Amino acid sequence: MAEHDYLKGLKISRRSFLKASAMGAGAFVLSHELLDFKSWVHAQTEAPVITFPTFCNGCGNRCGIIASVKNGRLWKIEGNPEANGNLGVVCPKGHGYLHDLYNPQRLKSPLKRAGDKFEPISWEQAYKEISEKINLILMDKGPQSLFWVNYPQSNHQYALRLMHALGSPHYFTHGSTCYTARNAGWVTTVGQLPSNDLSNAQYILIIGRNPAGGINLGQVKCIVEAKGKGAKLVVLDPRHSETAILADEWLPIKPGTDLAFLLGFINVLVKEELYDKKIVSEKTVGFKQLVEEIVNYPPEWVEKICEIPAKTITRIARDMAQVKPKALIHRGYHGAFGAQYLNSFQTARALAIANSLLGNINRKGGIYFAKSALLGELQPKHPAPEFPKMGKLDGTGVPGRYPLGSYGDGIAHAIPELALRGELKAGFVYHNNPLRTNPNPKRVMAGYKKLELLVVIDTVLSETASIAHYVLPESFYLERDEALDTKHSGKRAQVSIQQQVVKPLYNTRPGTQIIIELAKHLGVEKYFNFNIEEANQLRLKPLGVTLGDLKARGVLFVGENWKEGFDKLETPSGKVELYSETLKKLGFPPVPKWEEPFVSPDPRDPHSFRLLHGKQAIHTHSMTANQPYLMAISHRYDMIRLWMNRLRGSQLGLKDGDWVKIKSTVGEGKVRVRLTEGLHPSCVWLPSGYGIFSKHLNTAYDIGLNYNDFLPTYFDPTVGHSMSSEIVVNVTKA
Amino acid sequence: MARYGMVIDESKCVGCNACRVACQNQNNLAPYEAYNHLEEREYGAFPNYNREFLPVQCQHCDNPPCVRVCPTGASHKRKDGVVLVNEDKCIGCKYCIAACPYNVRIIKKEGYIEKCRFCIEFVEKGETPACVTTCMTGVRMFGNLDDPNSEISRFITKHKLKQFKAEINTQPRIYYRKA
Ligand code: SF4
Ligand code: SF4
Repeated sequence: MAEHDYLKGLKISRRSFLKASAMGAGAFVLSHELLDFKSWVHAQTEAPVITFPTFCNGCGNRCGIIASVKNGRLWKIEGNPEANGNLGVVCPKGHGYLHDLYNPQRLKSPLKRAGDKFEPISWEQAYKEISEKINLILMDKGPQSLFWVNYPQSNHQYALRLMHALGSPHYFTHGSTCYTARNAGWVTTVGQLPSNDLSNAQYILIIGRNPAGGINLGQVKCIVEAKGKGAKLVVLDPRHSETAILADEWLPIKPGTDLAFLLGFINVLVKEELYDKKIVSEKTVGFKQLVEEIVNYPPEWVEKICEIPAKTITRIARDMAQVKPKALIHRGYHGAFGAQYLNSFQTARALAIANSLLGNINRKGGIYFAKSALLGELQPKHPAPEFPKMGKLDGTGVPGRYPLGSYGDGIAHAIPELALRGELKAGFVYHNNPLRTNPNPKRVMAGYKKLELLVVIDTVLSETASIAHYVLPESFYLERDEALDTKHSGKRAQVSIQQQVVKPLYNTRPGTQIIIELAKHLGVEKYFNFNIEEANQLRLKPLGVTLGDLKARGVLFVGENWKEGFDKLETPSGKVELYSETLKKLGFPPVPKWEEPFVSPDPRDPHSFRLLHGKQAIHTHSMTANQPYLMAISHRYDMIRLWMNRLRGSQLGLKDGDWVKIKSTVGEGKVRVRLTEGLHPSCVWLPSGYGIFSKHLNTAYDIGLNYNDFLPTYFDPTVGHSMSSEIVVNVTKA
Repeated sequence: MARYGMVIDESKCVGCNACRVACQNQNNLAPYEAYNHLEEREYGAFPNYNREFLPVQCQHCDNPPCVRVCPTGASHKRKDGVVLVNEDKCIGCKYCIAACPYNVRIIKKEGYIEKCRFCIEFVEKGETPACVTTCMTGVRMFGNLDDPNSEISRFITKHKLKQFKAEINTQPRIYYRKA
């Protein structure tokens, strides 16, 4: 089918295109009345181009970019070659999402709910009414009844500061639906979350992570570089991921059994004495206890669980041991063990242990502790608020609740529960859309609707913004000066900055400015007596670089170079904890032990599948589906379909492209299938960027499904993550 | 005089579409207008399966069928080998679309026919085409085929490369390295 047949509603007429381009123009204002299109193109080509370094907001990577402005209008972005995280390249989301600057559906002023509708109000009125309401709630219910949840950006420390200034411990990130099991597994084992030295590795094993789809540009560049030097790449994933395209070998593991694979891998290293003996004796604790448990998992047993041949497991362990320490198992992200299964925490533990036995911890070509910039403090000039006296009500870090949960992230998908119980009364949602990205939206909606006050800060009317009492419009990322960022860690740390490329088109404000102004209205201005420029100056001071230099380059290297090896880790023993006394005390297995997934499809029922999800390179969470440039790709290549193994599909009488109905204990929906040989037969796989139900996002509205519609509300017992692949669905022909 | 050409390393393409959108931005195209596309191919049966993406755009043929059928001379080949459409001369008859064996020509919203221009206005200023510079796996290489020392010429001499549908004698200036 021709591309434009899918997208009739999207056509931008030449006339409106010209009008839009003339709108933002300064000295070179052109209009279609004066010039025909060809001359306009010519003028475009010849017009002076002004470039600004900044960073992208198309996803959480915050890649360094150079934005080009022509005739006062944003034209394009290119990668900043100096940025560690993306090394000069930009992904499709980066190129596509920038068009949201000119999205007619953007928020243009603060909004206040009036019945079923919103009415525009002034910033002053919004701040005044919001702070009056919050102060009443705080007086009545105490400071802990207020929360802030965001998908962190460079300014998250100011949001945290605001919550602390008001006495609330309730600052949350999206972590519990994303990565908290992975983080906890690494932290328990080696004391921190490390990075991968991909470009120097000779053997790379990736389990569930897909940096070519859930894009990490720098990682993909480094993998390609390593492969160019002869490295081997093996991808273990139930789906033939985009990273698997680059691999020497794809191993379609049965979903939920990655832990078994790792236990078998460790079994081979131990049994054949292939591990790094020096490292094990000097830098680890609990090898004896590990051996006692690991003898239970010979590769022949593992083969039955995870459907990877025993001899393949043995071969990979031997081959990796041969090139150790320049052999690594990718540290992981969301896929396989970020927040997927009941056994995800133990999977992350086993993965960290397997790497440690390869002797690769903080080694070249292995797993390494990246250098991250340490920004200065605002105090003493601007005193920091006290740490809140009350603990988090979600139970993170509390023995008997979610003892290994990260206090810093909190368990954001518990907010609806806490609201329904009346423990949370008012909240801010910033750069986040829990109604679409949290499990079981009916329950999320019920919880958020129960709040006495919901304030959403966003650039469009997302699902969550649609039910808010107040919506504060944030300036688009290319319109705002923002907080310094330390995201670009690496062999040498970098500091980066987001800065204004074009003037705000509407009555919007930068996120940090909104936080500072809220603080002033809420009576905690003594902690916020600065503006972003001064804060950036102060925080940059100890790094020995100037704000002027940073603004000119976008990113700057700071601090010392990374060095191999380590003396002492940030674990209780100071060593790699193969055996963890902490876990023992908390009642969890102190060395990794096989644990079944919480739910599994019925192998005798042809309709029963596990529902997996994952990212496509063109979409971020629920944020980009409404972008016509990106959605055009989804339609052009029919990417909204549910993947299903071809044989399983034919057993259900399905042909490629047929509609199916899928149903779980909490939801149901219809979608078309892609039948493929590239997926494990026990599961179906749904791309994660679709299923938008906000009527205000009309490019994306009602297109495709989202896995959260099928996911019951779970909190795993270790960190309280969402166990987002513990879904069994029934699939029938629609 | 330079003679421009491109190498596309099929083995590296992961189908991300960054090249598509970078090109759209570079050329001020609408969301559904794209000068390059991807052909996905699947091989084998589970679990011995593989797939690949083939990036396709105007092949800048040395023997271009589109130029031959164009009744007005709008489609033409420059001295440096780049095939272009002169939109002033284009009457939108679509003969070229029918003649092109690679399915890379589009009807612009303004009514004329367009396609990949090898970013020639930018190349003349010393820049590299947008699809080349944005790719995280470095699928494409662009340069002067007449300069034996250029990166692309050396690559072509060293590797076994193929032209797309070489059998129909269009003599493309894009060379593919097979997966
Ligand atoms: S990965 Fe893509 S969307 Fe994310 S920050 Fe980088 S360029 Fe932007
Ligand atoms: S940018 Fe590179 S990897 Fe992505 S689709 Fe284009 S050629 Fe393929």
